[in-house]
Amino acid sequence: MMANDPFLMASDALSDSGARISELARPFLRFLPVSGASISTFGSFLGAETISATDARAGRVDELQFDLGEGPCWDALVNRQPVLEPDLASRSSVSWPAFLAAIREEQIGAIFAFPLLFGPLEIGAVDLYSIAPVSLTPEQQGQTLALSAMVSRIILRHAISTDIHPDETTTFSRRLIHQATGMVLAQLGTSAEDAHLIIQARAFAENRPMRQIAQDVIERRIRFTALTEPGPSHE
Amino acid sequence: MNETTRLELLFDAFATFADTLVAGYDVLDLLQTLVETCHDLLDVDSAGILLANAADKLEVVASTSEANTLVEVMQIDADAGPCLECFRTRSVVSLPDIDIGSSRWPAFCDTARAQGIHSVYAIPLRLRDTTIGTLNLMRNERGELNQHDIRAAQALADVATIGILHERTIRDASTLRDQLQRALSSRIIIEQAKGVVAETANVSIEAAFDLIRRHARSHQTSLSLVAQRLVTRELSL
Repeated sequence: MMANDPFLMASDALSDSGARISELARPFLRFLPVSGASISTFGSFLGAETISATDARAGRVDELQFDLGEGPCWDALVNRQPVLEPDLASRSSVSWPAFLAAIREEQIGAIFAFPLLFGPLEIGAVDLYSIAPVSLTPEQQGQTLALSAMVSRIILRHAISTDIHPDETTTFSRRLIHQATGMVLAQLGTSAEDAHLIIQARAFAENRPMRQIAQDVIERRIRFTALTEPGPSHE
Repeated sequence: MNETTRLELLFDAFATFADTLVAGYDVLDLLQTLVETCHDLLDVDSAGILLANAADKLEVVASTSEANTLVEVMQIDADAGPCLECFRTRSVVSLPDIDIGSSRWPAFCDTARAQGIHSVYAIPLRLRDTTIGTLNLMRNERGELNQHDIRAAQALADVATIGILHERTIRDASTLRDQLQRALSSRIIIEQAKGVVAETANVSIEAAFDLIRRHARSHQTSLSLVAQRLVTRELSL
């Protein structure tokens, strides 16, 4: 791969963006033939919110889907698969009638939505639009999924970083958490770091101390199962 | 075990320590061997070692039982109990009857009693001015540890301490604190590895440690290395 590969530059930009949540959408424009991007959190884990949008139209596309309760981002997250609409005008299917009617004035030619997932957790979705009809190659889809996974991690860390329970600082609690981390990494086939984050996220979602979740994992009351990872879909 | 056999075994244990020190070793493995030797040869039911971390707080680094209940007893001891006192005063603390110590260390004594522990003997891991942690011997019976065991335990603790401090002068690139911190950090990987084995072999956390320990021994490699390979899933037990 060339050093100035647009995808690598985009993933570098994402790693450098630190905790700037509002800047998470921009790197997608670096390597995809799209006009705008937005990132939103919703689903079972985090509250519905557009956290980053590259322009006002991208923001509106997100907002409309929340208001109407339908649209590509919902489908992407529910099915854990990208939704690809390379040519909205010639689209014959009848899903999202209200959403399509609402965006008619927005002059959108193509729309794509990629799920934001972390292990078993639903984080939200990336919405991408183009004014002119355009297709994403399988390689671009794969890259978008890879970047989406980075975004999921960043959002998750950000969401739970403000919520460290004082109990987690004791040595004994940490020991239990490390043991549970080992069990979860074996259950999900992830790195230790990701397994730790999953336990932390579960604690956050249930508003319980991490030690309790760890104890439940060790005593096999909680078990995480690997879900199939999303892959490039076929148009 | 009759007295002659015990003395032979004790002699073997010292010989093994000496060999290890000469040949080079992993601090964690040395400490694990130390607690196991104490458990096998002395009149104690469980033993553990706590080392001071970078923040000068004591952490459990090796114990004869990896059951979380025993580790928790020792960790509470490290926060307020005979072993903290032993570390602070740099001298032996004997608690022949935990009922008598209850008023000083209520949380520790209650947790220990619940685990059937009734007397505790804590020895500082100390060489002249440097104290790196404590060796804790716990018994289910009340009463003082016998004099032979006290001498043997003290000698074992001293050999281990000298070994650790000696290794530092050989390497000397890192400070003692870094080195001890490394031993404590590899503990993290070992805890994770216990979880991996508990999950994949469907055994308890305690049994998982035994499997890891056995594998390290039979392959003559360190606990930390085995644990590392389990966590990265290059090895499966």
